[in-house]
Amino acid sequence: MIQFFFNLFLKKFSTRELGTCAAFALSGRRLFVSVRPHRMSSSGTENKATSRPVVRLQEGGLLVVIFLLGLLLTLFGGRVERPEFKKNAAGEIEKIMVERNKFFNAQNLINLAKDTSFFAVMAVGATFVIICGGIDLSVGAVYALASVLAALVLHRFGTDGPHSSVSPWLCVPLGMAVCIGSATLCGLLYGGMIVALKVHPFIITLGTMTIYRGVAFVITAGQSVGTFATAFPDLVKWEVYGGLRLVPFLVMVLVTILGTVYLTRLAAGRRIYAVGGNELASRYSGVRVERVKLSVYVISGLSAGIAALLAIGYYGSASSGDGAGYELDVIASAVVGGASLSGGRGSALGALLGALIIKMIDNGIVILRIDQSYSRIIIGAVVILAVMLDQFNTWLAKRRLTKTV
Amino acid sequence: MALISFIDLTKRFPGVLALDRVGFGVERGSCHALIGENGAGKSTLGKILAGIYTADEGEIHLDGRRVRPANPLIARQLGIAMVHQELAFCPNLTVAENLCLGELPGRAGWVDRLLMRERARMMLREIEADLDVNQPIGELSTGQEQIVQIAAAVGTHAQVIVMDEPTSSLSVRESDRLFQLLAHLKQRTITVIYISHRMEEIFQLCDTVTVLRDGRHIATEKTAQTNPDRVIQQMIGREVVSHVPQHLDRPPGNEVLRVENLSSPGNFNNLSFTLRAGEVLGFAGLVGAGRSEVARAIFGLDSAATGRIFVRGIELPSGSVLAALNAGIGLLPEDRKRLGLVLTMNCRENTSLATLSRLTRFGFVRRREERSLVQRYAGRLRVKAPSLDALVAGLSGGNQQKIALAKWLARQCDILIVDEPTRGIDVGGKAEIHQLLDELACQGIALLVISSELPEIMNLSRRILVLRFSQANLLRLMAGVQVSSS
Repeated sequence: MIQFFFNLFLKKFSTRELGTCAAFALSGRRLFVSVRPHRMSSSGTENKATSRPVVRLQEGGLLVVIFLLGLLLTLFGGRVERPEFKKNAAGEIEKIMVERNKFFNAQNLINLAKDTSFFAVMAVGATFVIICGGIDLSVGAVYALASVLAALVLHRFGTDGPHSSVSPWLCVPLGMAVCIGSATLCGLLYGGMIVALKVHPFIITLGTMTIYRGVAFVITAGQSVGTFATAFPDLVKWEVYGGLRLVPFLVMVLVTILGTVYLTRLAAGRRIYAVGGNELASRYSGVRVERVKLSVYVISGLSAGIAALLAIGYYGSASSGDGAGYELDVIASAVVGGASLSGGRGSALGALLGALIIKMIDNGIVILRIDQSYSRIIIGAVVILAVMLDQFNTWLAKRRLTKTV
Repeated sequence: MALISFIDLTKRFPGVLALDRVGFGVERGSCHALIGENGAGKSTLGKILAGIYTADEGEIHLDGRRVRPANPLIARQLGIAMVHQELAFCPNLTVAENLCLGELPGRAGWVDRLLMRERARMMLREIEADLDVNQPIGELSTGQEQIVQIAAAVGTHAQVIVMDEPTSSLSVRESDRLFQLLAHLKQRTITVIYISHRMEEIFQLCDTVTVLRDGRHIATEKTAQTNPDRVIQQMIGREVVSHVPQHLDRPPGNEVLRVENLSSPGNFNNLSFTLRAGEVLGFAGLVGAGRSEVARAIFGLDSAATGRIFVRGIELPSGSVLAALNAGIGLLPEDRKRLGLVLTMNCRENTSLATLSRLTRFGFVRRREERSLVQRYAGRLRVKAPSLDALVAGLSGGNQQKIALAKWLARQCDILIVDEPTRGIDVGGKAEIHQLLDELACQGIALLVISSELPEIMNLSRRILVLRFSQANLLRLMAGVQVSSS
């Protein structure tokens, strides 16, 4: 068993490396270090317009890791029987058992995407905060509070609630608005405190983490809230084709795209990188640093609200204990995805891929029939490994910069 | 035989070749000066000897043995200590605790406080210093702290002490005290490597002087056999042609900036001056005289500042960077890596940072406009970079400074405050920056140039403003003028 883990790690290490090489090869140019000594132009006016590649080394490496991890699970996962519904010759729908690859089948992949989506959405939000040089420990609690508030609203419109006859066109948007609105407000609140009190975000969000969870506990009296207006879970669990529930996956992809556009195309996103990269220099350049900082915590709260919406829709209930410890998994996802805790570096796509890697390892442990108790140990080790490789990369880049003289 | 010999020492930093095959020897018990302009590599050499940096290539021989001071602790064990300009101690601990930090006297983890204080007193007595060992280091003046550093060095039996610009932030009296101490060290045959660019100190104190220029070794000579003029020639390396600024031929335009009774508690008092379009106003004064603070106050970064600032007759609201920016004021800060640039971003993003709000449509950055804007100003300043998407961290100091300057030109600032525009930039880069500033003045931009290098100010400016915080410093400044103008 130990030998197996060791091999797995060795493989992971070399795949990251491989990823680096592959990214170089695929794009045909150096992506990470943009200084090329042989192209030193003699005059600044000759500067060529080279657009920033969409997938950079960091994400390229992650993609390769995900691909190899998927390959590993497909090859060694074995096979499993899945029920499928087909029309038989008589035109009746019939349940037949089909043998499928245990990892690489539509049901498992969509399930993996669903598991990933709650984390990935929050990881995108956390990446905003981390790029800006802050940290948000409250997301798990915001997720719980928003879940509980929305659950209380939706419960009132549920089958045994007082307003069960209200149209779903009214109660579903109301539930969603409560969920997202309350989460955004939570973010605004601790973001405001961080900016106004000038206290380190670690401390403020540590405090609000306990406060929000406490509030969620008080308003539910520690009970789980369920039986929603059915329209809402139906929406989130909407089955597209052959019983596949694509909504969480699509929301995750949409959030990642929006996050990427915000960070790379909007002036507001550029300012987040600037403040995280050098707060003082940004202030000296007329950037309203406080406003930028506030915005990232609001976005982080908003992302927790979206994740909560998906989760309560999917599971059909909420309690104040939901999402305990999520904040750390979310930060881990962002960090595996290449965000630097010292600020100035990270991407929304990286956050998604980081969350996916963590969830794939979780999934893989089940598929490979490894004792579940090891999962936390493995994930912890992967986070540290990812950061070590990242530092190695930075060191390499710095060395290359020096060598150009 | 030389106590220390450097052989072909080379050190590279991103964008800069700090030391280029430097080799010379230092005699035992001598006071050896290292002199050169900013960015010549003198501090780098000192730090390599003291184990703060490691050399990329080359060898250091101490007493005939090859040594590798890979970190400050190893350097200490070799008997090499460094007296830093900046804080080198824990400011929250007392003098005694700091002096004995390396080997706290005591038993089983318990500190013997009496013994510790006694030891610290002995170390101070050794160099005839009189300080209270129970005072926290944070409460001492810079001069007193340097004395403690020297006591720590002597107390650990250092045979070589490296001093990096020790007098740069000392008062005259503190400097005199330091000079006495140096004489005392010489009696004990302790070798001192004295890094400075103050000619008068070097000729007063040192036996030998080594001149570095652009990371290269130029000369090592006995002070008795050379003279300040010759050393200046060696430092600058080229004919001292005083560059005649073009803008002086043109009459200055209208008054664009008027400062009335500007004060900042603890920094400066009642400062008034005016600045015209196309004029360069030099702002001289020593480090710590409050020059950078004036710049910060005008730029709206000092909320405690009082007084009135008028731009083209309109009063600027105090304490607002955006108001200053919108009035067309730009500030090129003194420390470009800490205040001027975001090193994690590339040239394009740095240049457009202050202009972003003008480059957006519905919040989106208009990338084509951004690129052409950056290209225009980077081109105008002749930025040498592999591409506009290259990280600024990889550029040379001069080109980094140009990017920081391009940021303000892109915003169409017509009042520029430049604080130490050529600090840490090599000679060629300096001349280029000077020429650029002159060109900008010709184009009608009003410039306030703050610099501690008098030749720079004298070469560039139409008028010079001297800021001082004591009479004595003014006198020293005047002495500096005489030396550099000779």
